[in-house]
Amino acid sequence: MSGLISKMNSKYQLKMKKFIFLTFALALTVSCSSDEDYEGLNKNPNAPAEVSDTQLFVSATNSLIDFVESTNVNENNFRLYAQYWTQTQYTDEANYEMQNRAIPDYMFSEFYRDILGDLDNAKNLVTDAVKIAQIELLSVYAYQMLVDAFGDVPYTEALKAGAETPNLAPAYDDDATIYADLISRAQAAVSGLSGSGTGYTSDDLIYSGSIAHWKKFGHSLLVKLGSRIVDQNEATAKSLIESNYASGISSNADNAYFQFESSPPNTNPLWEDLVQSGRQDFIPADTFVNVMNDLTDPRSDKFFDPTSLINGAYQGGPYGVSTPFNDNSHISQTLYAADFRGVLMDYAEMSFILAEAARRGFSVGGTAAQHYENGITASMSEWGVSSDHTTAYLAQDNVAFATAPGTDHEKIAKQFWIAMYNRGFEGWTVYRLFDSPTLPNAGTLDLPVPKRYTYPQSEQTINGANVKAANGGNDTQQTSIFWDVK
Amino acid sequence: MKNYFLFILVGLLTLNLSFAQQVISGSVVDADGVPLPGVNVVVEGTGQGTASDFDGNYEISVEDGSTLIFSFVGFADQSITVGQTDSYDIQMSSNLELSEVVVTSMGITREKRSLGYSIQTVGGDEIEDVRSMNPIEALQGEVAGLDVQAFNTMGGSANVVIRGYSSLSGSNQALFVVDGTPIDNSTGNSTDMQTGRGGVDFGNAAMDINPSDIESVSVLKGAAASALYGSRASNGVILITTKKGSKKKGMGITVNSQITVGNVDLETLPVFQDSYGYGYGQYRRAYIGPSTVAAGEQWTGNYYGQWGNNSAFYTGDDGSYGPKLVGQEVHHWYNMVPEWTDLYQRTAPAVAPSDTPNDFFETDVTQQNSISFEGGDDNGSYRLGYTNAQTDGVLPNSQMYRNTVTLRANRNFGKLSADASVSFINTQTTGRFGTGYDGLNPMQGFRQWWAVGASILEQKRVFEETGKNYSWNMIGTNTDDPNGSPNHQPLYFDNPYWSRYNNYTTDSRNRHFGNVSLAYDLSENLNILGRVTFDNVTEAREQRANVAVGTGGKGANLFDDQPGYQTQNRIRSEYNYDLIVDYTRDLTDNIDLSAIFGYNLRVQNWDHTTAQTNGGLNFPNIFALTNSVNPLTAADVSQYDAQKKVEGMYTSVSLGLSDTYYAEGTYRRDRSSALPVDNNSYNYYSISGSAILSNLIESDLISFAKLRLNHAVVGNDTAPYNVFRAYTINPAINGAASASNPSTLPNSNLKAETTTENEIGLEINMLDRKLSFDFSFYNKTTDDLLTSLGVSPATGFSGLVTNAGSIENKGFEALVRINPISTADFSWNVTMNYNTYTSEILSLGNDATGNAIQYLGYMSPQGGIEIGGQVGEPYGVIRGHAHVRDANGNKVLRVRSGSYDYAHYLRTSNSDNVIGDINPDWTGSVRNTFTYKNFDLSFLIDIQQGGDFFSLDTWYGFGTGAYDRSVGLNHKGNDMRLTIPNGGGLRLDGVILPDNAVITDGVANVAGTQNTDVMSRYDFYANPEGWTSIGAPHEMHVHDASFAKLRELKLGYTFPESVLAETPFTSASVAFVGRNLWIIAKNSPYTDPEAGLGAGNRQGYQTGAFPAVKTYGLNVRFNF
Repeated sequence: MSGLISKMNSKYQLKMKKFIFLTFALALTVSCSSDEDYEGLNKNPNAPAEVSDTQLFVSATNSLIDFVESTNVNENNFRLYAQYWTQTQYTDEANYEMQNRAIPDYMFSEFYRDILGDLDNAKNLVTDAVKIAQIELLSVYAYQMLVDAFGDVPYTEALKAGAETPNLAPAYDDDATIYADLISRAQAAVSGLSGSGTGYTSDDLIYSGSIAHWKKFGHSLLVKLGSRIVDQNEATAKSLIESNYASGISSNADNAYFQFESSPPNTNPLWEDLVQSGRQDFIPADTFVNVMNDLTDPRSDKFFDPTSLINGAYQGGPYGVSTPFNDNSHISQTLYAADFRGVLMDYAEMSFILAEAARRGFSVGGTAAQHYENGITASMSEWGVSSDHTTAYLAQDNVAFATAPGTDHEKIAKQFWIAMYNRGFEGWTVYRLFDSPTLPNAGTLDLPVPKRYTYPQSEQTINGANVKAANGGNDTQQTSIFWDVK
Repeated sequence: MKNYFLFILVGLLTLNLSFAQQVISGSVVDADGVPLPGVNVVVEGTGQGTASDFDGNYEISVEDGSTLIFSFVGFADQSITVGQTDSYDIQMSSNLELSEVVVTSMGITREKRSLGYSIQTVGGDEIEDVRSMNPIEALQGEVAGLDVQAFNTMGGSANVVIRGYSSLSGSNQALFVVDGTPIDNSTGNSTDMQTGRGGVDFGNAAMDINPSDIESVSVLKGAAASALYGSRASNGVILITTKKGSKKKGMGITVNSQITVGNVDLETLPVFQDSYGYGYGQYRRAYIGPSTVAAGEQWTGNYYGQWGNNSAFYTGDDGSYGPKLVGQEVHHWYNMVPEWTDLYQRTAPAVAPSDTPNDFFETDVTQQNSISFEGGDDNGSYRLGYTNAQTDGVLPNSQMYRNTVTLRANRNFGKLSADASVSFINTQTTGRFGTGYDGLNPMQGFRQWWAVGASILEQKRVFEETGKNYSWNMIGTNTDDPNGSPNHQPLYFDNPYWSRYNNYTTDSRNRHFGNVSLAYDLSENLNILGRVTFDNVTEAREQRANVAVGTGGKGANLFDDQPGYQTQNRIRSEYNYDLIVDYTRDLTDNIDLSAIFGYNLRVQNWDHTTAQTNGGLNFPNIFALTNSVNPLTAADVSQYDAQKKVEGMYTSVSLGLSDTYYAEGTYRRDRSSALPVDNNSYNYYSISGSAILSNLIESDLISFAKLRLNHAVVGNDTAPYNVFRAYTINPAINGAASASNPSTLPNSNLKAETTTENEIGLEINMLDRKLSFDFSFYNKTTDDLLTSLGVSPATGFSGLVTNAGSIENKGFEALVRINPISTADFSWNVTMNYNTYTSEILSLGNDATGNAIQYLGYMSPQGGIEIGGQVGEPYGVIRGHAHVRDANGNKVLRVRSGSYDYAHYLRTSNSDNVIGDINPDWTGSVRNTFTYKNFDLSFLIDIQQGGDFFSLDTWYGFGTGAYDRSVGLNHKGNDMRLTIPNGGGLRLDGVILPDNAVITDGVANVAGTQNTDVMSRYDFYANPEGWTSIGAPHEMHVHDASFAKLRELKLGYTFPESVLAETPFTSASVAFVGRNLWIIAKNSPYTDPEAGLGAGNRQGYQTGAFPAVKTYGLNVRFNF
């Protein structure tokens, strides 16, 4: 062997010297890169460094509606809190357990990071006044939900991680103060819709570029803001509602709907948890079903699955208690459709707000009874109930505003609550604001309906000083939001 | 490439099977002529050897031209080449003149005595003898300060951390360098997998190294030792030297075969109760109909679904708070399988089956066969190794095959010398273990959600006979309708056998790494070395979830619970170009100088593509993207392409004075493409010194003593794409393009993080070399920590890449060797390692507006706990709900009143209480080696004291009632499963507070009174130990990770010369080997305290943990 190799020696020495030379020539060529070349390696070729405001606006709209529609136990349990639905086996969320799954954390990060952050970024990229107004209205909508869920939240110092001087620990602002600013922002936005610009058109997934509808949405949002503070600051509420109701949503044709697609990934999130998951977690709750049965409400066949009658009637699951799926009635197949529309605001909601306003003596173009009937009718029509059934229903003693049991306030609350079925957050808020209808304590743990979300656990560790000072140091489920004064 | 093959060819052609043997004998004495017994005499390049007898005499049979190596603790090795005579008397020099040579950074060999830093070497035998598929696991317990954690999944990763966690940026993993080639050791595991949300562990790539090829492993622990490697070495370096051919006549052949079998360790699995079946508690029926249970009566009959005229288990319930199993007739899940006509629609007694989910595990069989050829002469050598390894994991349908070819050759051509090393590795794996909280992980069901009454072996039988996904957890009848037909769709859990054979992964990894180097002696003192190293990995991963024909199926989490298919192609490579100039000169008689100057360019490339089906599969068993139900969208594909370059220049100067004082200084400057241009260069340096104290002080007691000191500063950069903001592209919706901000904000002001380390060490060799110590104290501070800092989402981002704060690790390491007995026939050696460290976050800095950064988090896993740290805390404390305690520190019970009183532990309202620390107090190991004539016995005991983990397994599992602890009698002698009014429940240990007590930060201002009569409910799943609101504080599920394990055992026999004389073998040995045979002690129930999710920074959390596997087998080695 050695002989063989030594014969090659001279030839190899030459080759190897060449090799060593080439290696280092190569190394030097590769290495003498300029700083610019080095920097170029640090720019991701698969992700854009710049996007337009339009794409951000689309993403934020989508994130907002996804949250509102979701019934994922990690994300949105408001259909449970309003006691429309309950859970079959695992009843933690129906029993208002928020912390084990860090549920408030989800809403907090989704709203700031994936809705408000993108909207804020979009706003900085655009000069079209109409687009800015559309962005602002969605921002106000999102902030209102945050305040309605948590109370004090970061506002003036929020969304500043990417600022010149990044603020990584934003302070929490007073909830009433935020509301006041939201009102003025929404007012400015409504004016802005009449300003110069085209607004979002095909990328507007709510009104497809109809600025007239955005104006109605804006005015309605002001009415809604006003309706929340009616117990806390009736004068402001009155003025807001009276000056905006007439230009607001006035029929189901004005509803702020969002059309989902029939196949993933842009399906209604409800479909993901009710159908795609293959699970049987949710059924209508007895609290709601009993009221519907009591009223022989024709919407029952739309809200629940008519093939799931138990002994000839709808039967809700005991709220907050484990129960077999098939021992109870089920949710309507309508809600199981992947492309079921999502709702941000609708005429029924507006009508009940106005009914309550009229009851308080505000001047809102009609009596409480008229708006009450408008609300029921809008809801019936929205869910596809025939006008004959609607008329008959309105004539029932236990429905007609004049004869239905309870105070006027309670009558409005009950029908408002029914109409907000599948809009869990609004249903829960009706309960908090009206203190009606009566929702019993959850079955297993005997706890009352929460008045708010507790703050995210992650805020305790990463923004502790600020979150501990928020809400006057009260961070319980039973701490009221500022407008929940009665 | 051609050149190497030529070497092989030449080697094979000159295969020379001549075995001329001769017997050599002689005596061994020390410098004073005193005979030395027990000196090891080994024939180089073989396992063959003997030891000198009590009078210092030896005798050994060898081939002509062999080299004999004489070694003895405390003495310098001596070697002789066997020539014409057959007698060689040896005088050994004590290590006052010791010149043990070790491999240090950049492959530079140095005399160990001259080093001013700690380096610990492990011989290849210790890795090869008791090996597993992952050679890295064989380092467990071998080195002080090296923590190797394995996770019990076939082919899964091993966590390799030296001197504790000190960086947050991504990796704390040690750098692996094989013969000068830095090799990729990333896991490529998904974030979901690493945080316990599901996925499989694809292993880290250092496991590709073939244990049979390892000559030795050097562990460079401190920054001073590794500074020359540049930024990646700030976590320490594991330097692997592979075997070289040795100079010999003809060709040596070594054959090594090992077969081991492994069985799960039942100590690390749940113990199931056998008296209560399917269900979540009495509520189920109690609500619907009036209870027929009278006071004191056992609940058996009424808590059922009904099917026909009989009761049926609620198979949809994946808990065990159902009826008492007393043999009553009931429909089981297997009575709902139409194919089983003899059982269908019939009933069977409700009893617990004789099997449990622990019977799901199979025996692991691992075979590793290797053969190597080697040879060499005065001018060079070669070694060619081939290893075939295969294993069947403990789960059904899991196999892994690995083929490795390694070639190492070197040759001198006068002043020019060449060295080349290349390894080809192909790994094929089927059925990696699903991990975490995911349906693909069978342990999730077994440990957390199990219904007693379901038979795992019947699950096996139904799958084998029907091939269908009939699950113990099928929706079933779940109805009172007597005519309802069973719904066979699994509710939460698939049949675990169906799942293993239908929802499985395959992956194939092809890798070649190695280097070519050329060295040229410019003069006697000056040497220049050029080297190119390469490491290329191509990996194809496939994950499947099949369509469950006829029954429906859950499939994998990966595809939103739909059937699906995902393919991933991952290509990554690294090239290093090195030029090293080496100058060595004796300046005077007393002063030696050596200096090196080097240049290194590293180029790393990543090219990953992932695509998966959308919305299910059209046809079963067709795993292809084209079989997707819906078209693929932006949500179904992802790509990662990146290149990173780091360029470094370095120099090192060392001086030796009178063979007593040594000093070394190094300096390196790097430029990284991953940092902003303004800050892309950074410097680091080290200075170290040592003094041979034993040269200065005469002592009979101490034969050798050395003091070392060093100080080093090492920089570290980051991964690509952490500087410039890039947006996330979302799937278009209704035709509208969508994009959003990234969730983590990059940072254009990043700079390198630096680690400063000071170390002092002492080596002592005493009592005639019967006792030796090596101590190190170190203090390591990392500043400007590069981290993806979790920030309040109210900032618009959930994370920000930044330089935040400092972490300090202080530690002490000890290595003790004792040689109590050493005679010709018998020797006993003890090696002990000890390591302890404390870590502390010194500061976290402020944001630009002056707000203090409060917290560094790295994990917010399911269950509501967080792992991270605040200033003043170790990195890695666990936060969650704690017990509320009274003024005396007793756990407080809250009494709830309804129709009767019941109690549960009161937990703190806030969840940011520190309830654990993942860092151990100390770790240690003891290896005992006994040699008696031709037998040798060694065993290694590995110990960890302290360290905590949170268990999601007990968090859920203690609530669902499957464990043995959930049944039994209470202090009244009643069944604890009875309702409290019926005498059931348990009396928990705790105190009840008076009404006026005020609780501040989880502590009451007054003492409570011991609970004497309030019981806690154990009749349904919301018991005080599980996850529910009236359940346990997180603190109750933080477990102590302490353990003592018999890690390794080897009993070997080397055949004597006399037996081999008539055979072609020059040496032969057999050994019984065992790993993880016995957990001597542990404090965590039902699990292996070492279990976890996989390699990486996210430790201290168990969910769906796999059991430990005891392996034992036989190892056979022959040399020709």
